Amino acid sequence: MDDTGNGKGETGIVIPAQYQPPLPLDRLLLPVGAEGAGDRTELDVLIVGAGPAGLACAIELAHLAQHERADLSIGVLEKAATLGEHSLSGAVVNPRSFRELFPDLKDADFPFRGPVQKERVALLTSRRAFTLPTPPTMHNAGNYVASLCEIVRWLGERAAALGVNVFTGFPAASLLVDGERVAGVRTAATGLDRAGRPLSNYLAPNDLVAKVTALAEGTRGSLAQAWLEWQAVTSENPQIFALGVKEIWETKRPLATIVHTLGWPVPSDAFGGSFMYPLEPNLVALGLVVGLDYRDAALDVHALLQRMKLHPLFRQYLEGGEMVEWGAKTIPEGGYYAVPARRSGDGIVILGDSAGFVDVPSLKGIHYAMQSGIFAARAILAGLQAGHASAARLAEYDRLVNESFIMKDLYRTRNMRLAFKDGFYAGGVKAALITLTGGRFPGGKIAMEPDAEVERRFTPASRPGPVTPDGRLTFSKVDAVFKSGNSTRDTIPIHLVVGKDVPAAVAEFYARMCPAGVYELAQGALRVNAPNCVDCKATDVLGPRWTPREGGSGPKYKRM
Amino acid sequence: MSHVLAVLEQRDGALRKVSHEVVTGARRLADALGGNVDALILAADAVRGADQLGRFGADQVITLTNAAFGVYAPEGYARAIAERVESGGYGAVVFAASATGKDLAPRVAARLGRPLAQEVTDLAVEAGAVTVIRPVYAGKALLKLKINGAPAVISLRPSVFTPVERPKAGTQESATAAVPAGRVVVRAIKAAEAGTLDVAEAPIVVSGGRGLKEPANFKVLEELAAAFAGRAAVGASRAVVDAGWRPHADQVGQTGKTVSPTLYVAVGISGAIQHLAGMRTSKVIVAINKDKDAPIFKVADYGIVGDLFEVVPKLTEEIKKQHG
Amino acid sequence: MKIAVCIKRVPDSETRVKIASDGKSLDEAGVKFILNPYDEFAVEEALRRKEKAGAGEVAVIALGPAAAQETIRTALAMGADRGILLQSDRIPPDGLEVAKALAVELKGAGFDLILFGKMAIDDYNHQVGPMVAELLDLPCVTTVAHLELEGGKGVAEREIEGGVEVVEFPLPAVLTTDKGLNEPRYPALKGIMAAKKKPLEVKPVSLPSGALEILALTPPAERKEGKIVGEGPAAVPELVRLLREEAKVL
Repeated sequence: MDDTGNGKGETGIVIPAQYQPPLPLDRLLLPVGAEGAGDRTELDVLIVGAGPAGLACAIELAHLAQHERADLSIGVLEKAATLGEHSLSGAVVNPRSFRELFPDLKDADFPFRGPVQKERVALLTSRRAFTLPTPPTMHNAGNYVASLCEIVRWLGERAAALGVNVFTGFPAASLLVDGERVAGVRTAATGLDRAGRPLSNYLAPNDLVAKVTALAEGTRGSLAQAWLEWQAVTSENPQIFALGVKEIWETKRPLATIVHTLGWPVPSDAFGGSFMYPLEPNLVALGLVVGLDYRDAALDVHALLQRMKLHPLFRQYLEGGEMVEWGAKTIPEGGYYAVPARRSGDGIVILGDSAGFVDVPSLKGIHYAMQSGIFAARAILAGLQAGHASAARLAEYDRLVNESFIMKDLYRTRNMRLAFKDGFYAGGVKAALITLTGGRFPGGKIAMEPDAEVERRFTPASRPGPVTPDGRLTFSKVDAVFKSGNSTRDTIPIHLVVGKDVPAAVAEFYARMCPAGVYELAQGALRVNAPNCVDCKATDVLGPRWTPREGGSGPKYKRM
Repeated sequence: MSHVLAVLEQRDGALRKVSHEVVTGARRLADALGGNVDALILAADAVRGADQLGRFGADQVITLTNAAFGVYAPEGYARAIAERVESGGYGAVVFAASATGKDLAPRVAARLGRPLAQEVTDLAVEAGAVTVIRPVYAGKALLKLKINGAPAVISLRPSVFTPVERPKAGTQESATAAVPAGRVVVRAIKAAEAGTLDVAEAPIVVSGGRGLKEPANFKVLEELAAAFAGRAAVGASRAVVDAGWRPHADQVGQTGKTVSPTLYVAVGISGAIQHLAGMRTSKVIVAINKDKDAPIFKVADYGIVGDLFEVVPKLTEEIKKQHG
Repeated sequence: MKIAVCIKRVPDSETRVKIASDGKSLDEAGVKFILNPYDEFAVEEALRRKEKAGAGEVAVIALGPAAAQETIRTALAMGADRGILLQSDRIPPDGLEVAKALAVELKGAGFDLILFGKMAIDDYNHQVGPMVAELLDLPCVTTVAHLELEGGKGVAEREIEGGVEVVEFPLPAVLTTDKGLNEPRYPALKGIMAAKKKPLEVKPVSLPSGALEILALTPPAERKEGKIVGEGPAAVPELVRLLREEAKVL
């Protein structure tokens, strides 16, 4: 099988949960004082993840501390080598949280590319595009097209100027716990060979001990999952995810409209759609997002995106242009019912995507992430000033979120995505009814099962096979990974925890699922090309578990 | 009218082949400037091959001798050359951008108070001034520079200024260089280990990918490499290194080694961008693959579509005939 | 041991080269800048030599725009003691002008060793180190891949075609470093924190453009379209003929 996905038509049923190892809690949770660390650093507040949530939290904390003349040591850990390199989103951003974080600045000062002018929603067939009236949840007037990488770099500069310590190249590998309290994190080691032996530039893990740890790891955060499981914090529905594969193109033909599409090439038994946004008239971001509860075991989001680009709607812009970046990331789609009952505890708060603050119908998450960071900062500072950051004190963060537009917005659309679990057409009808009734239909919660428990099948080749990449409009996974800027060293230890005795059908399923070609079915067995990994986390949802690896490995996104 | 001084290299009493390239480049420049080429050799004694330099365009060949000049003496050489340049009033001084040349040329330029255009791939004279082109950003762009004033100090990238017959007098002259050898002393030259030609150093690289099907089949490539009589190394794509067939030291590609040999033969390699990033500046690329749509054929100068197990042994046979 | 390391802020080698509208320079939009990789070997060597000597100082000096302070901080995070930025928005293409500015800063400062990376990965000039040595009248060895120092003298090994040159020199000296000299350390987290407090002096300088003038920066020539010579082993003799007579590589 080659890496474009030309499989041999494996038949059979795949239930991913059967081969998925459990979360490695023994690695993700360590008692504070456990052996194995080199240096130990103490901070007042430690934030894991320098994305929009983590950096907004750091900035608000620094602002408040300045105002209160409090002397706070704030550290942010980021696994990417440089800020922004692991950040990826569409994106069309609601500016309200920027305005709240920086009341003295104007919209023109913010790191946006341009206001949304025209927008279009289309239903695609394999050859045509039918413009639909824009659903009310998707109106973007007043919002801005932006690159999340650029937002993160901008926020990072401001955080650094406020005295926040931002440590890039340091992934948090484990939570340090003291009884029931979260005491900090331990970072991953650097400079091990594939057998786990230290190389000459080996750097031991660091322990960072803090009064409060804010987890802002983004989608499918490992430490957040570990804490929620350990503390038995549940949500009404399990969290579900979509996988987005995105490209940035320099185009000959200018684009002035933000475009969203439904329908083709997403099969009717899967949920998803595409986006195409102009960062500049001739710099276009486009991508395809598909829910990971898809039923066809051979579904390959990267391959579907390659096929999608050949549709006249997209091709007219891409023809003669050049793909300059490629990337992938999952998005939490469970909405209101998948948000954990509480996102705070003794010494800990959970922000942003890690808490599931994403509204699928409007495709928004960045401003919720930033807002959650702002609320967390307020609760944290109040807790620290009162002398302790106990669960009771930090529960103020949950209260602020629950009473805010974050939860109000998520509640309004609580069943929208879930309505699609029975397919595009049934879902479309339900979604329309939800919109018309302002969310009152269908009333209660639509139950969901975790993505890994959804049964999938390999159907005989009634669907078109993947396109053979031409290297101009369409690309193989291997070439795509190159364009993500990924140059992870080949000898890095494997960071993925694979289940035992994975049969060929499941290996083939993994190979299609992973957009970066990490998994292959080679001579009847699963081959793992771990250095290809771009940290999208689809594997953690459906396959081998993802664990943090050496700082700086992974993609190097520039404008994603 | 402006004369050009070509600084040549000798080792163990014989001229190094790159010296012909230096004379060729100097000759081109001198013709454009309307002047002569003086070839300069620094040695302990007369050097073999000096009498051949007229063929490539040297009007005069000057051998500067000094007891300490048998091996490279950085400070002594720099001083002697700078004195020659000043006393000779040369309009340009040309070096090879070899290991020695890249070390020597900056010293001479600084002594003369002149800029250095290091490792150029082309030169010309435009409106009376010397202009050069040199690769920058790892060969991803070309920089064109104008050198104002005289002399222009330039080093030439090896294997670019292919020696051209331009017979001139090549009159032999000899003089002693009465300069101290200097504080930096070359004590010895250790020969490279025989048989372990590194992929990044070899003038010819024969690389294999998944098309080889099994590690044992790399023998077919080792035989082809051997046919080039010690000038070829065997490289590997990331896929076969990952599979454990070949050591990481042989890996060519973005996360392996970047190579720029004169000839790169890609066998059973599809041509992922990650691999191309490691070898695309090779002078000549040959691809052998049974898939006529393999992306490698778009980058290759020459390709053969076919079963490598049939094509490569035949190629080995033909190459052996070449070398006699 | 008192050691100076001259470093440069350069675009990441993964950079996709886009030429600016002036046709003479790199379009820096979206370009990531890093510490020149060859300079990392120099910083690492300096740190090791100071650690071995038990006492001393490692100073890093950069010539570049204000943003080069970040590059200096990277070296400080690795363990260097202090930094100096000779601040200039423009770096002239003439390496001799750069060398002169550095020499002014280095002269009379009493360094036992002055280290450079052998070349910068943007301009590939391979010259500033030995030029500084000439201006300061110091011994110099370039592209050092192995180094021994003992009592005021040093022995360096450097790669030449087909072999390794073993070179002796006295201290103080200027050395330029090559890959293989050492394995540069990653900055430790504590090092990153400490770097913020280490002294970093910024001195604005104004450099003459020198005698080299940039006329144009252009993309490389397109590789000529290749040809499929034929199919199967029957095509081999023709391939060999072309390699010999057309490509002239045999």
